[in-house]
Amino acid sequence: MLDILAYPFMQKALITGLFLGIVLSLIGVFVILRRMAFFSDGIAHASLSGAALGYLLNTNPLAVSIFFSAVFAVVIAQLEKRVKLSSDAVIGLIFTSGMAIGILLLSLGGGYRPELTTFLFGDILAIKWSEVFLIVGLGSMNIIFILWNYKRLALMVLNEDLAYVNGIKVDWLRNLLYVSIAVTVVMGMKVLGIILVSALLIIPIVSAKIIARSFHALMATSVTIGVITVLLGIMTSVRFDLPTGATIVLIGMGIFAILAIYSTLRQQLLSQGKG
Amino acid sequence: MKILSLKNLSVSFGDKTVLSNVSFDIKTGEIAAIIGPNGSGKSTLFKAILGLVPFSGSIRISGHSIAEELHEVGYVPQYFDFDRTMPITVGELLSFTRRRTAHKESEEICKEVRVDLLVDKLIGTLSGGQLQRVLIAQALLKKPKLLLLDEPASGIDIEGAKAFYELIRHLNHEHNLTVLIISHEINTVYDFADQVICLNRNMVCFGPPHTTLDSATIEKLYGTKMTAHLH
Repeated sequence: MLDILAYPFMQKALITGLFLGIVLSLIGVFVILRRMAFFSDGIAHASLSGAALGYLLNTNPLAVSIFFSAVFAVVIAQLEKRVKLSSDAVIGLIFTSGMAIGILLLSLGGGYRPELTTFLFGDILAIKWSEVFLIVGLGSMNIIFILWNYKRLALMVLNEDLAYVNGIKVDWLRNLLYVSIAVTVVMGMKVLGIILVSALLIIPIVSAKIIARSFHALMATSVTIGVITVLLGIMTSVRFDLPTGATIVLIGMGIFAILAIYSTLRQQLLSQGKG
Repeated sequence: MKILSLKNLSVSFGDKTVLSNVSFDIKTGEIAAIIGPNGSGKSTLFKAILGLVPFSGSIRISGHSIAEELHEVGYVPQYFDFDRTMPITVGELLSFTRRRTAHKESEEICKEVRVDLLVDKLIGTLSGGQLQRVLIAQALLKKPKLLLLDEPASGIDIEGAKAFYELIRHLNHEHNLTVLIISHEINTVYDFADQVICLNRNMVCFGPPHTTLDSATIEKLYGTKMTAHLH
Protein backbone atom coordinates (compact mmCIF):
# COMPACT_ATOMS: atom_id res chain seq x y z
CA MET A 1 0.00 0.00 0.00
CA LEU A 2 2.74 2.48 0.91
CA ASP A 3 4.45 2.26 -2.51
CA ILE A 4 1.45 4.03 -3.95
CA LEU A 5 2.64 7.18 -2.14
CA ALA A 6 5.45 7.44 -4.66
CA TYR A 7 2.99 8.19 -7.44
CA PRO A 8 2.47 11.87 -8.23
CA PHE A 9 -1.33 11.49 -8.48
CA MET A 10 -1.41 10.15 -4.92
CA GLN A 11 0.94 12.86 -3.61
CA LYS A 12 -1.22 15.56 -5.19
CA ALA A 13 -4.36 13.98 -3.79
CA LEU A 14 -2.98 13.66 -0.27
CA ILE A 15 -1.53 17.20 -0.15
CA THR A 16 -4.85 18.61 -1.39
CA GLY A 17 -6.80 16.34 0.93
CA LEU A 18 -4.74 17.45 3.95
CA PHE A 19 -5.35 21.15 3.27
CA LEU A 20 -9.01 20.66 2.46
CA GLY A 21 -9.52 18.49 5.55
CA ILE A 22 -8.14 21.31 7.71
CA VAL A 23 -9.88 24.25 6.07
CA LEU A 24 -13.28 22.59 5.55
CA SER A 25 -13.37 21.54 9.20
CA LEU A 26 -12.31 24.95 10.50
CA ILE A 27 -14.85 26.75 8.35
CA GLY A 28 -17.42 24.07 9.16
CA VAL A 29 -17.33 25.06 12.85
CA PHE A 30 -18.74 28.47 11.91
CA VAL A 31 -21.11 27.02 9.33
CA ILE A 32 -22.66 24.85 12.05
CA LEU A 33 -22.55 27.61 14.70
CA ARG A 34 -24.34 30.01 12.34
CA ARG A 35 -26.60 27.27 10.93
CA MET A 36 -25.44 27.88 7.37
CA ALA A 37 -25.46 24.35 5.99
CA PHE A 38 -28.01 25.38 3.35
CA PHE A 39 -25.82 28.34 2.35
CA SER A 40 -22.91 25.98 1.70
CA ASP A 41 -25.07 23.64 -0.33
CA GLY A 42 -26.51 26.57 -2.27
CA ILE A 43 -23.09 27.98 -3.11
CA ALA A 44 -21.88 24.55 -4.22
CA HIS A 45 -24.77 24.21 -6.65
CA ALA A 46 -24.65 27.82 -7.86
CA SER A 47 -20.94 27.52 -8.65
CA LEU A 48 -21.85 25.19 -11.51
CA SER A 49 -22.28 28.42 -13.49
CA GLY A 50 -18.62 29.24 -12.89
CA ALA A 51 -17.45 25.77 -13.83
CA ALA A 52 -19.55 25.80 -17.01
CA LEU A 53 -18.19 29.22 -18.01
CA GLY A 54 -14.66 28.02 -17.32
CA TYR A 55 -15.12 25.04 -19.64
CA LEU A 56 -16.82 27.19 -22.27
CA LEU A 57 -13.94 29.68 -22.29
CA ASN A 58 -11.34 26.90 -22.13
CA THR A 59 -9.84 28.40 -19.01
CA ASN A 60 -9.39 27.08 -15.45
CA PRO A 61 -12.95 26.07 -14.38
CA LEU A 62 -11.94 25.78 -10.71
CA ALA A 63 -10.63 29.35 -10.62
CA VAL A 64 -13.72 30.70 -12.40
CA SER A 65 -15.96 28.74 -10.01
CA ILE A 66 -14.14 30.18 -7.02
CA PHE A 67 -14.61 33.70 -8.37
CA PHE A 68 -18.31 33.13 -9.06
CA SER A 69 -18.83 31.62 -5.61
CA ALA A 70 -17.25 34.66 -3.96
CA VAL A 71 -19.55 36.97 -5.93
CA PHE A 72 -22.62 34.87 -5.04
CA ALA A 73 -21.58 34.92 -1.38
CA VAL A 74 -21.42 38.71 -1.30
CA VAL A 75 -24.75 38.97 -3.15
CA ILE A 76 -26.39 36.65 -0.60
CA ALA A 77 -24.88 38.61 2.31
CA GLN A 78 -26.16 41.92 0.92
CA LEU A 79 -29.61 40.59 0.00
CA GLU A 80 -30.05 39.10 3.47
CA LYS A 81 -29.35 42.52 4.93
CA ARG A 82 -31.36 44.71 2.58
CA VAL A 83 -34.32 42.68 1.36
CA LYS A 84 -37.35 41.54 3.35
CA LEU A 85 -36.80 37.86 2.57
CA SER A 86 -35.73 35.03 4.81
CA SER A 87 -32.19 33.75 4.51
CA ASP A 88 -33.47 30.45 3.07
CA ALA A 89 -35.36 32.27 0.35
CA VAL A 90 -32.35 34.38 -0.64
CA ILE A 91 -30.08 31.34 -0.80
CA GLY A 92 -32.74 29.44 -2.73
CA LEU A 93 -32.86 32.23 -5.33
CA ILE A 94 -29.10 32.23 -5.84
CA PHE A 95 -28.85 28.43 -5.69
CA THR A 96 -31.43 27.85 -8.41
CA SER A 97 -30.49 30.74 -10.68
CA GLY A 98 -26.78 29.84 -10.45
CA MET A 99 -27.52 26.25 -11.44
CA ALA A 100 -29.83 27.40 -14.21
CA ILE A 101 -27.10 29.67 -15.63
CA GLY A 102 -24.70 26.73 -15.45
CA ILE A 103 -27.06 24.42 -17.30
CA LEU A 104 -27.67 27.09 -19.95
CA LEU A 105 -23.94 27.65 -20.47
CA LEU A 106 -23.36 23.91 -20.72
CA SER A 107 -25.99 23.66 -23.43
CA LEU A 108 -24.17 26.41 -25.37
CA GLY A 109 -20.97 24.37 -25.22
CA GLY A 110 -22.65 21.45 -26.95
CA GLY A 111 -21.63 17.79 -26.71
CA TYR A 112 -20.86 15.72 -23.66
CA ARG A 113 -18.33 17.15 -21.14
CA PRO A 114 -17.04 14.24 -19.08
CA GLU A 115 -14.79 16.52 -17.03
CA LEU A 116 -17.97 18.14 -15.70
CA THR A 117 -18.71 14.97 -13.75
CA THR A 118 -15.65 15.82 -11.64
CA PHE A 119 -17.54 18.90 -10.47
CA LEU A 120 -20.68 16.93 -9.74
CA PHE A 121 -19.00 14.04 -7.92
CA GLY A 122 -15.40 15.21 -7.32
CA ASP A 123 -12.25 13.55 -8.57
CA ILE A 124 -9.30 14.40 -6.38
CA LEU A 125 -7.22 11.64 -7.97
CA ALA A 126 -7.25 13.55 -11.27
CA ILE A 127 -6.23 16.88 -9.78
CA LYS A 128 -3.59 18.91 -11.62
CA TRP A 129 -0.60 20.58 -9.97
CA SER A 130 -2.00 24.00 -10.89
CA GLU A 131 -5.15 23.16 -8.98
CA VAL A 132 -3.13 21.83 -6.04
CA PHE A 133 -1.23 25.13 -5.80
CA LEU A 134 -4.48 27.10 -6.07
CA ILE A 135 -6.10 25.05 -3.30
CA VAL A 136 -3.00 25.15 -1.05
CA GLY A 137 -2.68 28.92 -1.58
CA LEU A 138 -6.32 29.81 -1.02
CA GLY A 139 -6.67 27.17 1.67
CA SER A 140 -3.73 28.64 3.59
CA MET A 141 -5.23 32.13 3.34
CA ASN A 142 -8.53 30.82 4.68
CA ILE A 143 -6.82 28.98 7.53
CA ILE A 144 -4.93 32.15 8.51
CA PHE A 145 -8.14 34.20 8.27
CA ILE A 146 -9.99 31.81 10.57
CA LEU A 147 -7.22 31.40 13.12
CA TRP A 148 -6.58 35.17 13.26
CA ASN A 149 -10.26 36.06 13.61
CA TYR A 150 -11.93 33.10 15.28
CA LYS A 151 -12.85 35.00 18.45
CA ARG A 152 -14.39 37.88 16.49
CA LEU A 153 -16.15 35.42 14.18
CA ALA A 154 -17.52 33.42 17.08
CA LEU A 155 -18.90 36.52 18.81
CA MET A 156 -20.38 37.84 15.56
CA VAL A 157 -22.05 34.51 14.85
CA LEU A 158 -23.43 34.31 18.41
CA ASN A 159 -24.84 37.86 18.44
CA GLU A 160 -24.14 40.52 15.83
CA ASP A 161 -25.27 43.41 18.06
CA LEU A 162 -22.87 42.36 20.82
CA ALA A 163 -20.09 42.00 18.27
CA TYR A 164 -20.76 45.50 16.97
CA VAL A 165 -20.72 46.99 20.47
CA ASN A 166 -17.40 45.24 21.03
CA GLY A 167 -15.87 47.14 18.13
CA ILE A 168 -16.13 44.43 15.48
CA LYS A 169 -16.85 45.65 11.94
CA VAL A 170 -19.73 43.24 11.52
CA ASP A 171 -20.63 43.97 7.88
CA TRP A 172 -17.05 43.47 6.72
CA LEU A 173 -16.51 40.36 8.79
CA ARG A 174 -19.80 38.83 7.69
CA ASN A 175 -18.93 39.38 4.03
CA LEU A 176 -15.46 37.92 4.57
CA LEU A 177 -16.90 34.88 6.35
CA TYR A 178 -19.39 34.26 3.57
CA VAL A 179 -16.68 34.58 0.91
CA SER A 180 -14.38 32.32 2.91
CA ILE A 181 -17.10 29.66 3.20
CA ALA A 182 -17.93 29.95 -0.49
CA VAL A 183 -14.32 29.67 -1.64
CA THR A 184 -13.72 26.73 0.71
CA VAL A 185 -16.84 24.96 -0.53
CA VAL A 186 -15.79 25.28 -4.16
CA MET A 187 -12.30 23.98 -3.36
CA GLY A 188 -13.91 21.10 -1.50
CA MET A 189 -15.93 20.25 -4.60
CA LYS A 190 -12.71 18.98 -6.15
CA VAL A 191 -12.77 16.16 -3.59
CA LEU A 192 -16.45 15.51 -3.06
CA GLY A 193 -18.27 17.30 -5.86
CA ILE A 194 -21.27 19.58 -5.69
CA ILE A 195 -23.47 16.77 -4.43
CA LEU A 196 -21.45 15.78 -1.34
CA VAL A 197 -19.20 18.71 -0.40
CA SER A 198 -21.46 19.88 2.43
CA ALA A 199 -20.73 16.59 4.16
CA LEU A 200 -17.19 17.68 5.02
CA LEU A 201 -18.48 20.92 6.49
CA ILE A 202 -20.88 19.06 8.72
CA ILE A 203 -19.71 15.56 9.64
CA PRO A 204 -16.34 16.36 11.31
CA ILE A 205 -17.91 19.12 13.41
CA VAL A 206 -20.95 17.11 14.43
CA SER A 207 -18.61 14.27 15.38
CA ALA A 208 -16.32 16.59 17.33
CA LYS A 209 -19.29 18.06 19.23
CA ILE A 210 -19.84 14.65 20.79
CA ILE A 211 -16.53 14.74 22.64
CA ALA A 212 -15.38 18.38 22.71
CA ARG A 213 -15.84 20.27 25.98
CA SER A 214 -14.80 23.72 24.77
CA PHE A 215 -14.73 25.80 21.60
CA HIS A 216 -10.99 25.41 21.24
CA ALA A 217 -11.33 21.65 21.63
CA LEU A 218 -14.14 21.69 19.07
CA MET A 219 -11.93 23.41 16.50
CA ALA A 220 -8.95 21.12 17.14
CA THR A 221 -11.04 17.93 17.20
CA SER A 222 -12.98 18.91 14.06
CA VAL A 223 -9.74 19.46 12.16
CA THR A 224 -8.29 16.16 13.40
CA ILE A 225 -11.41 14.25 12.40
CA GLY A 226 -11.64 16.11 9.08
CA VAL A 227 -8.05 15.34 8.12
CA ILE A 228 -8.32 11.67 9.17
CA THR A 229 -11.59 11.34 7.25
CA VAL A 230 -10.21 12.79 4.03
CA LEU A 231 -6.82 11.04 4.07
CA LEU A 232 -8.27 7.69 5.12
CA GLY A 233 -11.02 8.12 2.54
CA ILE A 234 -8.55 8.78 -0.27
CA MET A 235 -6.32 5.83 0.63
CA THR A 236 -9.30 3.49 1.06
CA SER A 237 -10.81 4.51 -2.26
CA VAL A 238 -7.48 3.88 -4.06
CA ARG A 239 -6.91 0.54 -2.31
CA PHE A 240 -10.36 -0.80 -3.12
CA ASP A 241 -11.01 1.12 -6.36
CA LEU A 242 -14.05 2.95 -4.98
CA PRO A 243 -15.43 6.45 -5.76
CA THR A 244 -13.32 8.77 -3.60
CA GLY A 245 -15.97 11.31 -2.59
CA ALA A 246 -18.50 8.73 -1.45
CA THR A 247 -15.81 6.76 0.41
CA ILE A 248 -14.73 9.86 2.32
CA VAL A 249 -18.31 10.63 3.35
CA LEU A 250 -18.97 7.07 4.50
CA ILE A 251 -15.74 6.97 6.51
CA GLY A 252 -16.79 10.25 8.10
CA MET A 253 -20.15 8.73 8.99
CA GLY A 254 -18.37 5.70 10.40
CA ILE A 255 -16.25 7.92 12.69
CA PHE A 256 -19.41 9.74 13.79
CA ALA A 257 -21.14 6.43 14.54
CA ILE A 258 -18.18 5.18 16.60
CA LEU A 259 -18.04 8.39 18.64
CA ALA A 260 -21.81 8.43 19.15
CA ILE A 261 -21.81 4.82 20.38
CA TYR A 262 -18.79 5.49 22.61
CA SER A 263 -20.47 8.54 24.12
CA THR A 264 -23.74 6.69 24.75
CA LEU A 265 -21.97 3.74 26.39
CA ARG A 266 -19.84 6.07 28.49
CA GLN A 267 -22.90 7.94 29.76
CA GLN A 268 -24.63 4.68 30.59
CA LEU A 269 -21.58 3.42 32.50
CA LEU A 270 -21.28 6.70 34.37
CA SER A 271 -24.95 6.72 35.36
CA GLN A 272 -24.74 3.07 36.44
CA GLY A 273 -21.68 3.93 38.51
CA LYS A 274 -23.61 6.73 40.25
CA GLY A 275 -26.66 4.51 40.80
CA MET B 1 -22.79 65.72 34.46
CA LYS B 2 -24.84 64.45 31.53
CA ILE B 3 -23.67 61.09 30.24
CA LEU B 4 -26.49 60.51 27.78
CA SER B 5 -28.42 63.21 25.97
CA LEU B 6 -31.17 62.59 23.44
CA LYS B 7 -32.82 65.42 21.53
CA ASN B 8 -35.82 64.93 19.23
CA LEU B 9 -34.86 61.37 18.47
CA SER B 10 -37.06 59.73 15.86
CA VAL B 11 -36.73 56.34 14.20
CA SER B 12 -38.71 55.15 11.21
CA PHE B 13 -38.55 51.97 9.19
CA GLY B 14 -40.03 52.68 5.79
CA ASP B 15 -43.28 54.52 6.42
CA LYS B 16 -43.65 53.14 9.94
CA THR B 17 -42.63 55.48 12.78
CA VAL B 18 -41.29 53.50 15.70
CA LEU B 19 -40.04 56.40 17.84
CA SER B 20 -41.06 60.03 17.62
CA ASN B 21 -39.39 63.06 19.20
CA VAL B 22 -37.87 61.45 22.24
CA SER B 23 -35.73 63.76 24.38
CA PHE B 24 -34.16 63.19 27.77
CA ASP B 25 -30.88 63.54 29.65
CA ILE B 26 -29.35 61.02 32.01
CA LYS B 27 -26.73 62.09 34.55
CA THR B 28 -23.64 60.07 35.44
CA GLY B 29 -24.34 57.52 38.14
CA GLU B 30 -28.10 57.40 37.65
CA ILE B 31 -30.20 54.30 37.12
CA ALA B 32 -32.83 55.05 34.52
CA ALA B 33 -35.58 52.62 33.62
CA ILE B 34 -37.49 52.57 30.36
CA ILE B 35 -41.02 51.22 30.54
CA GLY B 36 -43.79 50.88 28.01
CA PRO B 37 -46.05 48.37 26.33
CA ASN B 38 -44.82 45.87 23.77
CA GLY B 39 -43.96 47.54 20.48
CA SER B 40 -43.48 50.96 22.06
CA GLY B 41 -39.94 51.33 20.73
CA LYS B 42 -37.93 50.48 23.85
CA SER B 43 -35.46 48.11 22.19
CA THR B 44 -35.34 50.39 19.15
CA LEU B 45 -34.31 53.22 21.47
CA PHE B 46 -31.37 51.10 22.62
CA LYS B 47 -30.43 50.23 19.05
CA ALA B 48 -30.46 53.93 18.16
CA ILE B 49 -28.26 54.78 21.16
CA LEU B 50 -25.83 52.08 20.05
CA GLY B 51 -25.90 53.30 16.45
CA LEU B 52 -27.40 50.06 15.17
CA VAL B 53 -30.34 51.75 13.40
CA PRO B 54 -30.55 55.04 11.48
CA PHE B 55 -32.28 57.90 13.31
CA SER B 56 -32.98 61.57 13.12
CA GLY B 57 -32.32 63.93 15.97
CA SER B 58 -29.31 63.89 18.22
CA ILE B 59 -27.73 61.34 20.55
CA ARG B 60 -24.66 62.37 22.54
CA ILE B 61 -22.73 60.19 24.95
CA SER B 62 -20.59 62.27 27.32
CA GLY B 63 -20.99 65.08 24.82
CA HIS B 64 -19.56 63.07 21.94
CA SER B 65 -20.96 61.07 19.04
CA ILE B 66 -21.92 57.41 19.41
CA ALA B 67 -19.01 56.22 17.26
CA GLU B 68 -16.51 58.09 19.44
CA GLU B 69 -17.91 56.76 22.70
CA LEU B 70 -19.09 53.25 21.83
CA HIS B 71 -16.14 51.79 23.74
CA GLU B 72 -17.61 53.35 26.90
CA VAL B 73 -20.94 51.54 26.48
CA GLY B 74 -21.65 48.07 27.75
CA TYR B 75 -24.68 46.23 26.39
CA VAL B 76 -26.67 43.18 27.43
CA PRO B 77 -29.13 42.19 24.69
CA GLN B 78 -32.64 40.95 25.34
CA TYR B 79 -32.18 37.86 23.24
CA PHE B 80 -29.05 35.81 23.19
CA ASP B 81 -30.17 32.98 21.00
CA PHE B 82 -27.56 30.35 20.26
CA ASP B 83 -27.19 26.64 19.61
CA ARG B 84 -27.06 25.27 23.15
CA THR B 85 -25.35 22.11 21.97
CA MET B 86 -22.26 24.04 20.85
CA PRO B 87 -19.46 23.57 23.37
CA ILE B 88 -18.46 27.11 24.34
CA THR B 89 -17.35 27.70 27.91
CA VAL B 90 -18.14 30.84 29.89
CA GLY B 91 -14.42 31.64 29.97
CA GLU B 92 -14.24 31.39 26.19
CA LEU B 93 -17.29 33.61 25.68
CA LEU B 94 -15.73 36.24 27.93
CA SER B 95 -12.48 35.95 25.97
CA PHE B 96 -14.35 36.67 22.71
CA THR B 97 -15.29 40.16 23.95
CA ARG B 98 -13.15 43.25 24.00
CA ARG B 99 -11.46 43.86 27.32
CA ARG B 100 -10.08 47.00 28.82
CA THR B 101 -9.25 45.25 32.07
CA ALA B 102 -6.06 43.52 33.11
CA HIS B 103 -6.27 39.82 33.93
CA LYS B 104 -6.52 40.36 37.70
CA GLU B 105 -9.17 43.03 37.27
CA SER B 106 -11.12 40.67 34.99
CA GLU B 107 -11.01 38.02 37.72
CA GLU B 108 -12.32 40.58 40.23
CA ILE B 109 -15.20 41.50 37.94
CA CYS B 110 -16.09 37.83 37.47
CA LYS B 111 -16.08 37.37 41.27
CA GLU B 112 -18.19 40.49 41.77
CA VAL B 113 -20.79 39.31 39.29
CA ARG B 114 -20.51 35.76 40.65
CA VAL B 115 -19.50 34.08 37.43
CA ASP B 116 -16.02 33.09 38.64
CA LEU B 117 -17.24 29.60 39.49
CA LEU B 118 -18.94 29.28 36.10
CA VAL B 119 -15.85 29.88 33.97
CA ASP B 120 -15.45 26.25 32.93
CA LYS B 121 -19.16 25.60 32.46
CA LEU B 122 -20.62 25.39 28.97
CA ILE B 123 -22.89 28.35 28.19
CA GLY B 124 -25.51 25.95 26.87
CA THR B 125 -25.92 24.47 30.36
CA LEU B 126 -26.46 27.79 32.16
CA SER B 127 -29.76 28.81 33.67
CA GLY B 128 -31.42 32.06 32.56
CA GLY B 129 -30.09 33.94 35.56
CA GLN B 130 -26.56 32.57 35.18
CA LEU B 131 -26.47 33.52 31.51
CA GLN B 132 -27.59 37.05 32.32
CA ARG B 133 -24.76 37.38 34.88
CA VAL B 134 -22.28 36.13 32.28
CA LEU B 135 -23.56 38.69 29.77
CA ILE B 136 -23.21 41.42 32.39
CA ALA B 137 -19.65 40.27 33.07
CA GLN B 138 -18.82 40.50 29.36
CA ALA B 139 -20.24 44.03 29.29
CA LEU B 140 -18.27 45.07 32.39
CA LEU B 141 -14.96 43.79 31.00
CA LYS B 142 -15.04 46.84 28.72
CA LYS B 143 -15.01 49.09 31.81
CA PRO B 144 -17.99 50.99 30.47
CA LYS B 145 -19.35 54.23 31.85
CA LEU B 146 -22.84 53.42 30.60
CA LEU B 147 -24.51 50.02 30.80
CA LEU B 148 -27.55 49.22 28.66
CA LEU B 149 -29.68 46.28 29.82
CA ASP B 150 -32.53 45.16 27.59
CA GLU B 151 -35.17 43.36 29.71
CA PRO B 152 -32.48 41.53 31.65
CA ALA B 153 -34.89 39.85 34.06
CA SER B 154 -37.17 38.29 31.46
CA GLY B 155 -37.12 34.53 31.73
CA ILE B 156 -35.71 34.63 35.28
CA ASP B 157 -37.70 33.62 38.36
CA ILE B 158 -38.63 36.11 41.10
CA GLU B 159 -35.73 35.28 43.40
CA GLY B 160 -33.29 35.40 40.50
CA ALA B 161 -34.66 38.75 39.34
CA LYS B 162 -34.37 40.18 42.87
CA ALA B 163 -30.74 39.04 43.09
CA PHE B 164 -30.13 40.46 39.67
CA TYR B 165 -31.44 43.94 40.54
CA GLU B 166 -29.41 43.91 43.76
CA LEU B 167 -26.32 43.19 41.67
CA ILE B 168 -27.12 46.14 39.39
CA ARG B 169 -27.61 48.42 42.40
CA HIS B 170 -24.27 47.22 43.80
CA LEU B 171 -22.47 47.91 40.50
CA ASN B 172 -24.09 51.33 40.31
CA HIS B 173 -22.98 52.26 43.84
CA GLU B 174 -19.52 50.69 43.75
CA HIS B 175 -18.44 51.84 40.28
CA ASN B 176 -20.65 54.91 39.74
CA LEU B 177 -21.91 53.04 36.70
CA THR B 178 -24.80 54.68 34.86
CA VAL B 179 -27.42 52.09 34.04
CA LEU B 180 -30.19 52.31 31.48
CA ILE B 181 -32.54 49.39 31.82
CA ILE B 182 -35.63 48.28 29.91
CA SER B 183 -38.07 46.66 32.25
CA HIS B 184 -41.69 45.56 32.42
CA GLU B 185 -41.67 45.41 36.21
CA ILE B 186 -43.15 48.70 37.31
CA ASN B 187 -42.91 47.82 41.00
CA THR B 188 -39.18 47.18 40.64
CA VAL B 189 -38.72 50.38 38.64
CA TYR B 190 -40.50 52.31 41.38
CA ASP B 191 -38.03 51.12 44.05
CA PHE B 192 -34.95 50.83 41.98
CA ALA B 193 -34.68 53.59 39.41
CA ASP B 194 -33.64 57.23 39.84
CA GLN B 195 -35.39 58.19 36.62
CA VAL B 196 -38.11 56.56 34.60
CA ILE B 197 -38.72 57.07 30.90
CA CYS B 198 -42.18 56.08 29.70
CA LEU B 199 -42.31 55.26 26.03
CA ASN B 200 -45.16 54.55 23.71
CA ARG B 201 -43.58 55.65 20.43
CA ASN B 202 -43.53 59.13 21.94
CA MET B 203 -42.22 60.00 25.32
CA VAL B 204 -45.13 59.83 27.74
CA CYS B 205 -43.17 60.75 30.86
CA PHE B 206 -39.69 61.35 32.21
CA GLY B 207 -38.61 61.93 35.78
CA PRO B 208 -38.21 60.31 39.21
CA PRO B 209 -40.66 57.38 39.46
CA HIS B 210 -42.23 58.55 42.75
CA THR B 211 -43.37 61.80 41.20
CA THR B 212 -43.85 60.64 37.62
CA LEU B 213 -45.58 57.28 37.80
CA ASP B 214 -49.16 58.06 38.76
CA SER B 215 -52.41 56.49 37.60
CA ALA B 216 -52.90 59.04 34.82
CA THR B 217 -49.44 58.37 33.39
CA ILE B 218 -49.89 54.61 33.59
CA GLU B 219 -53.25 54.87 31.83
CA LYS B 220 -51.76 57.10 29.13
CA LEU B 221 -48.91 54.63 28.70
CA TYR B 222 -50.74 51.33 28.73
CA GLY B 223 -54.20 52.53 27.71
CA THR B 224 -56.02 50.75 30.54
CA LYS B 225 -57.52 51.91 33.78
CA MET B 226 -54.88 51.09 36.35
CA THR B 227 -54.22 52.37 39.81
CA ALA B 228 -50.87 52.50 41.52
CA HIS B 229 -50.86 51.11 45.07
CA LEU B 230 -47.87 51.82 47.25
CA HIS B 231 -46.91 48.89 49.50
